[in-house]
Amino acid sequence: MTVVVCLKWVHDAAQPDDVRFGAMSPADHSALELALQCGEWAHADVTAITVGPAQADHILRDALACGVRRAVRIETSHAVSGADVAAAIAAVVADAHWVWCGDYSIDNGSGSVPAFLAAALAARQALGVIHLSFGDAPTIDAGVIEATRRLDGGRREVLEVRAPAVVSVEGATAHLRRAGLTALRTAAAAAIEVIRIATPTRVDDCVVQQYRPRARELAGPDGVSALARVLSLTGAGGARGAASARRTVVLDPLDAAGRILTELREWGYRT
Amino acid sequence: MSDSVDVIVVGAGPAGSCAAIVAARAGLSVVLLERGPFAGSKNMYGGVIYARMLDELIPKWWEQAPIQRWVTRRSTMLLTDTQALTVDFRTDAWGEAPYNGATAYRPDFDNWLAGHAEAAGAQLLTSTTVTGLLRDSAGSNRTGAIVGVRTDRPAGDLRARGVIACDGVNSLLAKEAGLYEHTDAKHFTLGVKETLALPKEVIDERFGVRDREGVDIEIIGGTGMINGGGFVYTNLDTVAVGVVLKLSKLAAQSLRPEQVIAGLKANHAIAPLIEGGEVKEYSAHLIPEAGLEMMPKMTANGMLVAGDAAALCLAAGIWLEGVNFAIASGMYAGETAVDAIRAGDVSARGLAGYQKRMRTTFVLKDHRKLRRAPALVLSDRVQHLYPAMVANVAERMFRVDNPQPKPGLRRIFAQERKRAGVRRRDLIRDAWTGFRSYG
Amino acid sequence: MIAVVVVRAGVLPTGGAEVVAECAGRAVLVGSQVAVAAESLRGVATALTLVEQEAFRPAAIAHLLAPLLIDEPIVVLPASPDGRDLAPRIAFTLHRPLHAGATLVNANHVDMARGGGRELHRLVPGATFVATLQPGTRGVVPDPLLPAPTITSVTGPTSDGDTRDAVVMAVDEADPATIDLGEATRIIAGGGGLDGSDRMRQLADIAAAIGASVGATRVVTDRGWAPHERQIGTTGVVVAPRLYMAFGVAGAVQHTSGLGDPTHIVSVNTDPHCPMMQLADLAIVGDANATIDELERLLT
Ligand SMILES: Cc1cc2nc3c(=O)[nH]c(=O)nc-3n(C[C@H](O)[C@H](O)[C@H](O)COP(=O)(O)OP(=O)(O)OC[C@H]3O[C@@H](n4cnc5c(N)ncnc54)[C@H](O)[C@@H]3O)c2cc1C
Ligand SMILES: Cc1cc2nc3c(=O)[nH]c(=O)nc-3n(C[C@H](O)[C@H](O)[C@H](O)COP(=O)(O)OP(=O)(O)OC[C@H]3O[C@@H](n4cnc5c(N)ncnc54)[C@H](O)[C@@H]3O)c2cc1C
Ligand SMILES: Nc1ncnc2c1ncn2[C@@H]1O[C@H](COP(=O)(O)O)[C@@H](O)[C@H]1O
Repeated sequence: MTVVVCLKWVHDAAQPDDVRFGAMSPADHSALELALQCGEWAHADVTAITVGPAQADHILRDALACGVRRAVRIETSHAVSGADVAAAIAAVVADAHWVWCGDYSIDNGSGSVPAFLAAALAARQALGVIHLSFGDAPTIDAGVIEATRRLDGGRREVLEVRAPAVVSVEGATAHLRRAGLTALRTAAAAAIEVIRIATPTRVDDCVVQQYRPRARELAGPDGVSALARVLSLTGAGGARGAASARRTVVLDPLDAAGRILTELREWGYRT
Repeated sequence: MSDSVDVIVVGAGPAGSCAAIVAARAGLSVVLLERGPFAGSKNMYGGVIYARMLDELIPKWWEQAPIQRWVTRRSTMLLTDTQALTVDFRTDAWGEAPYNGATAYRPDFDNWLAGHAEAAGAQLLTSTTVTGLLRDSAGSNRTGAIVGVRTDRPAGDLRARGVIACDGVNSLLAKEAGLYEHTDAKHFTLGVKETLALPKEVIDERFGVRDREGVDIEIIGGTGMINGGGFVYTNLDTVAVGVVLKLSKLAAQSLRPEQVIAGLKANHAIAPLIEGGEVKEYSAHLIPEAGLEMMPKMTANGMLVAGDAAALCLAAGIWLEGVNFAIASGMYAGETAVDAIRAGDVSARGLAGYQKRMRTTFVLKDHRKLRRAPALVLSDRVQHLYPAMVANVAERMFRVDNPQPKPGLRRIFAQERKRAGVRRRDLIRDAWTGFRSYG
Repeated sequence: MIAVVVVRAGVLPTGGAEVVAECAGRAVLVGSQVAVAAESLRGVATALTLVEQEAFRPAAIAHLLAPLLIDEPIVVLPASPDGRDLAPRIAFTLHRPLHAGATLVNANHVDMARGGGRELHRLVPGATFVATLQPGTRGVVPDPLLPAPTITSVTGPTSDGDTRDAVVMAVDEADPATIDLGEATRIIAGGGGLDGSDRMRQLADIAAAIGASVGATRVVTDRGWAPHERQIGTTGVVVAPRLYMAFGVAGAVQHTSGLGDPTHIVSVNTDPHCPMMQLADLAIVGDANATIDELERLLT
């Protein structure tokens, strides 16, 4: 077993209350496509794996229909953290060379599973990848992948990745192929391997309340009047409350343009 | 996996699932193709299902079907901007097995029926859209016997001994098979619906029902200048409000359907029922309105057509029934396919029993009986003149206008008819058409 | 509580100063030219440990930092790309839970925005944990009176424990013209109030003059005046600019729900009552098209 893709069954963002719309996220679609390409590149079979309930079987079937060879579902006895998900997956695919993940799962995911997985597998990591090219692949563990990922401020980092590695990708990185009809029919009847693991109940003591943004500490922008500074500080917190210096003005085009530029200067966007 | 099966059913709506149940239970290999991510996911309707046709297929279906409420109260409402005249009927009998009508969510109901098809052995393939028919290479592209379908998947052709088209209104397959002689925008209405969330206790109180009892209100008028009708149905903790609109008028008025719903919701007869309801869903769907006038041929060489695909929806004002017709025609299509495949003749002739089966049952009998009703109900007089006329008559009848003495009904009626600008001749003709249809 | 901040070429990541402030000024800076970054934390940091590392190697760095962090019950990183890379590695190495994407961290509770930002989950953490803090939620005001931080340099950590890391080949600087809308800090958007496709070209020129990127509403992308990847909103791109300028945009909820929480909003619209005008810090009632002409003239 050498190429692995981790797929998470998540509720549809538009129909969060209806589990029947549950599917894999766009990022996982992208990961699945790249895992299949990786399998073709390295001449290896691809295994799809998920940690989730029985309803998650259907995303594994989708993966089988697209060309994955083996599908494994890990069923845990309790809801588990990202670290536990990664540990469970790592236990099943300890000898994986290439592991593909989505960058985030859309239901509150923090993108931590792939990094935990890399740690657990003592593998390299390339996370949040937006562009990717496969180099020559003489053997499964000798190929090199060049991956581009986002840094902050719009910068990009180019990484050279060798196996063993975990690569997590954004949804737009690759477009999942569509399963053929016969493959779909075969997959619909295929058996899914289910591995049950007992997990300790670990419930985070947690209170749910309505979201209110945290009161933010804001420095007045450089060179503004004392009044503007007071206004912006009292309007802190990002809530566009009455305290922010809001103005509605009726202006003809020339004055409007001038006013916009003045305001941009006041706010510190222009000098 | 072989690339040929006995029967392909296209569309996992009620027609398709019932056809698949029948064929699979007879031991045929059946593939049920559905374009949505699960059966029923894209399906919408007003909200009342008359499911007695299931008695045979799923005994005691009412004990397991995902039903919201049993309709025990049915109102027919004539609505103007300021008046409402309602005939309100309720009976306890419809709240007991075998029941009469039920409100249900179609994604639940259709998914449940499709589950029975799978349990019977049919293979349900979702997220797969049928894009065309496969023809026998012996015949020409337009006339050869139908031997399968083409889908939007790679290597997506699937062959079968018989195809049952249950792909709903405006059926691609029936049209491609050349079964519709002509279809026209005037044959369709547009149904739009909002589902509004309200607590169950509030619904119970406002509609005067308890437990699983439910209400069905059918409305004539209330759609402004656009010919059509409206409805209000109760689910457990939502209320469905919708309108059915004549397409040509909608286009001419350049109104958006949601504006028409907003108008109905603001009407004083409706607003208190739904006040505070949060819109959970908005959906729109075509309805094959014209009944017999638009019905296609229902058999071709190698193919049967059922449900809305065959325009079997009965839309005649105070009736809006399609699911029961879909269930029945789907079953009959399944049975016909089984017989024909066993007999080894799936030509149009071999399938001819289908149409006969429908002629001798309610499916076509109801349609024949009500064939003039759709046009009558959507006519300008019924839509724009009669509601106000009748409501004005009622208003004056029930008004106590002392010291004026009570006027007689005949006088009021004659005056109101004149005031509404209705000619006596037309009134008599419409009354006769109505009597022959509904009587 | 101690912050761990990855530094690249002396530059702090987004949210870097915020985590240092959240940890009352105590931080480990790791990466290249950490001393330069330490300077920029004047008024925020009180005690800094500097670990100079040529390249960013999350596995190796987690291993190297472990001895420094083992006695720190709470470790906080910014939820920037590098922070998100490193945090799970540190949590794994220290055998601690990770609370990712928090909006507030202290010993008594950790707040997290959930349910698409509708809910706040307040969690009572165990004694030791690692957390990442969402940039922009806390804010920092440097205190000019704060004395310079004490600095400890950890030089030449030797063993990286035979860890494996990818090799950084290059870091490409941001290109404002092609930057993803989602990353833009300034956005100028056009809506249905524009009277022709050429307005979008004018907006692009204005944007170039003030270092902004161009966005659009669905009405505009539907008209084919801008490509789909420029559409802001639920069915388009979710953005998070500091400055947002709307020309002829009504502010439908499908649009504004993808708008993030800009510090400054300008709106030009003929309808003073539309939602976009209600949101704006500067709401100008007037013709957007003519205003665009004037702006273009003033700026180019
Ligand atoms: C607003 C409104 C209110 C209504 N109210 C009522 C009511 O109260 N009571 C009632 O009984 N009826 C009502 N109807 C009518 C009823 O909805 C239909 O008559 C009924 O759904 C027909 O069932 P069907 O199985 O023929 O088609 P559908 O339910 O339309 O199912 C067709 C199926 O085929 C699938 N499909 C279509 N094309 C393809 C393709 N190319 N490939 C694969 N799959 C495809 C669709 O996704 C769908 O699942 C209403 C209709 C509307 C629009
Ligand atoms: C499921 C769904 C998803 C959607 N997703 C998105 C999405 O992702 N992004 C998105 O943007 N929209 C989306 N929409 C559409 C959204 O609902 C609005 O229709 C759209 O945002 C409106 O765009 P607009 O404000 O540019 O246009 P309009 O609604 O046409 O408003 C034009 C505005 O310009 C003003 N105006 C007119 N003339 C002038 C003038 N000369 N000078 C100044 N102002 C003028 C008008 O007063 C008005 O406020 C979605 C809708 C649906 C139903
Ligand atoms: N339960 C799970 N089963 C399988 N893969 C998962 C699971 N949770 C997360 N992943 C993978 O990790 C990626 C990032 O998820 P997250 O860390 O939850 O944001 C996902 O896109 C998946 O590829």
